[in-house]
Amino acid sequence: MRRIIAILLQNEAGALVRVAGLFSARGYNIDSLTVAATHDPAISRLTLVTSGDDAVIDQIVKQSRKLIDVLEIADLSRSDHLESELLIVKIGLAGLAAAEFDACMRRHPAACVVDQGAGSRVVQFSGTGRDVNAFFAELSNLAPVLELARSGTAAVGRGDVVLTPRT
Amino acid sequence: MNAVLEDPPETTGHPLAGAAMSGADVVVQVLADEGVEVVFGYSGGAILPVYDAVFRYNHEHPKADGAEPLPLIVPANEQGAGFMAQGYARASGRVGVALVTSGPGATNTVTPVRDAMADSIPIVVLCGQVPTGAIGTDAFQEAPISNIMAACAKHVFLVTDADRLEATLRTAFEIARTGRPGPVVVDIPKDIQNAELRFRGSGTLPLPGYRARLRAIDTATLDAARCAAFFDALGRARRPLIYAGGGVIAGDAAGALRDFARAFAMPVTTTLMGLGAVDTTEPLSLQMLGMHGTAFANYAVEDCDFLIAVGARFDDRVAGVPQAFAGGARYIAHFDVDPAEIDKVKRADWHHLGNLARALDTLRIYGLQHGFRPREQDRYAPWHAHLAALKRTHAMNYDRASAQIQPYAVIEAINAITRGRAIISTGVGQHQMWAAQYFDFREPRLWLTSGSMGTMGFGLPAAIGAQFARRDLPVIDIDGDASIRMNLGELETVTTYGLPIKVVVLNNAGDGMVRQWQKLFFKGRFSATDKSLHKKDFVRAAQADGFEWARRLADPAELPAVIAEFVAFDGPAFLEVVIDPDAGVYPMVGPGMTYAQMITGDFIASRQAQPAAVEAGPSEMF
Ligand SMILES: Cc1ncc(C[n+]2csc(CCOP(=O)(O)OP(=O)(O)O)c2C)c(N)n1
Ligand SMILES: [Mg+2]
Repeated sequence: MRRIIAILLQNEAGALVRVAGLFSARGYNIDSLTVAATHDPAISRLTLVTSGDDAVIDQIVKQSRKLIDVLEIADLSRSDHLESELLIVKIGLAGLAAAEFDACMRRHPAACVVDQGAGSRVVQFSGTGRDVNAFFAELSNLAPVLELARSGTAAVGRGDVVLTPRT
Repeated sequence: MNAVLEDPPETTGHPLAGAAMSGADVVVQVLADEGVEVVFGYSGGAILPVYDAVFRYNHEHPKADGAEPLPLIVPANEQGAGFMAQGYARASGRVGVALVTSGPGATNTVTPVRDAMADSIPIVVLCGQVPTGAIGTDAFQEAPISNIMAACAKHVFLVTDADRLEATLRTAFEIARTGRPGPVVVDIPKDIQNAELRFRGSGTLPLPGYRARLRAIDTATLDAARCAAFFDALGRARRPLIYAGGGVIAGDAAGALRDFARAFAMPVTTTLMGLGAVDTTEPLSLQMLGMHGTAFANYAVEDCDFLIAVGARFDDRVAGVPQAFAGGARYIAHFDVDPAEIDKVKRADWHHLGNLARALDTLRIYGLQHGFRPREQDRYAPWHAHLAALKRTHAMNYDRASAQIQPYAVIEAINAITRGRAIISTGVGQHQMWAAQYFDFREPRLWLTSGSMGTMGFGLPAAIGAQFARRDLPVIDIDGDASIRMNLGELETVTTYGLPIKVVVLNNAGDGMVRQWQKLFFKGRFSATDKSLHKKDFVRAAQADGFEWARRLADPAELPAVIAEFVAFDGPAFLEVVIDPDAGVYPMVGPGMTYAQMITGDFIASRQAQPAAVEAGPSEMF
């Protein structure tokens, strides 16, 4: 089962390597990993998408929590949450079905063209993994895909619950 | 993040607060402040400033008797230093320290660091590193120690900001000794060692997550409701059994465990790492369980209806088949300090995360106050009688009539003299298991063995480290002819420092334990495990390294006299014993097998029909 794990990490040299190393050493798979500093520059937030049954996820959370730099860790998929991924696609203009492309962009308000070259356009889209997949499937039918960059999932819990570092 | 806890120098109360020091001097001063009394290490270019600082410190601070306050013990190989630090830590409960240079010096300590992690042993390894400006340039003797060690250690620090050096060192000791103990590596670039600093005298790095989790475990108590739930379930049990692991030793909970077991007349079996948690000579001790546990301990695990796991983790050498392990236990209670061990292998019906000794004391007092007095009520009399019968019927035994020296007899002869009051270290293999099975262990921290990693070469350097921790006790290394070769260079270290260590090599001409598996699982094809044509003369090797007492024992008739002389010798002594090369380790619960499939060999009675000739295919299990 797909799970989203959020980790607040002390922004120390090597901390990210230790998290990633733990996952590979213990044979946990990482489907996607997103990391950046938070509003507190001393703290990074990692969002990890992985999969496993309850026992595996329980071990992943408990073993990760033993890392010295880990401030807090939560399985966001246990409760209602919001998640988003970013997609950036460069498409070629040769062979572009222009009218259909415009219609597609209108159907997806989350999509926009962020750059235009002589022979290409860059389209950006954000949404859940499923939305990104659906949008990309449509787009790739309308235009030749030259390049694709996609972020991992970022996620937060819904409502007033806040994941804060323990002190 | 630069937020080192700021203590203005004048307020820390340290007599040296505010003093100007080099980074290297800071290292040595923190070691002294941490109560370090011996450092195991090997010098080299990238750690020279610290070695020089130790030299100066020892010169300037002689002890009352003129001795050095921070003696540097130099091994033959940095792996030896790591295991010496471990031996010191295992025997004393204090943090052991190794000090090595960059690159090869540091990588040589990977094995002892991983070994310490696997057995939860607190050590701090300080490594020199190339100067910060040279990191990442493929500099001479550069190795990515923080990456390598991150995968092996409890934690690793690469000090890149000299201002954080002092707090980092103090924090390293804190992390090593707290919670579930383990190894911490501090990688110190040479320019940091040479930096001009002002000593603070106190302060650690902020570790809010780690410390909050520690506090939660440290302050966890058992409330009346949890105690009641425990005794409710226990009250329905007739055959309780305590299964104690290395956590009892690491957590200094042996006293509380003994009180608990005694108060409720409960039998105890321990893991390899838990030997010494209870006095193995007591009637209710069943000695070791598991792959090579006693038959009676393993039968007791099969027969118990209530299992109390204390500081033990159901590892594959104990619970090869977790579903089948303690299959008759209707209730499992689990005490630990590591949340990740709860329900990892075997679901517990009741568990407590917290200080083991305090939890056991709380439960004992609660039980007694609430009228749980199985001892007075003779509640477990049938269970005790059953266990006594198991111990009688399935006692450890071997071929006592053999014309060849039996390894078990060697251990028994030594044990008859030391009687559970000596420190025993081992290599890895059959001799390790024979030592675990045939020695008495009366106190914690007398049994030093590489349990989880099973590292050959552990025994000799661990014995050296232990002797520095316990000058008052005899230290005996029971080693194998193959294991001792791994760190044979440390024989000389024994004589260099005049340590009265006794080294026994049980020579079965090869890798006996591997041969045992080859017999069982590979139809007796002894691929690369036979050393009968090897040329080594162990006695001459020991003599060449300065052992005045070095002998080879091959005649069984001489065994008692030679052992007596060997143990009594006042100084380092080396004894090679030529043993029956076919002697096996029994009982044996094969890898991936259940206790019901335990084979007991020809000299220990089994209560199951024994498989005629085990002709198993190559086992998938390890
Ligand atoms: C460093 C290392 N390499 C390999 C092994 C695998 N191994 C386990 S026991 C053993 C044989 C040990 O032989 P010896 O020390 O003579 O002990 P014996 O079993 O003969 O008593 C080997 C090779 C190991 N445990 N450690
Ligand atoms: Mg051998």
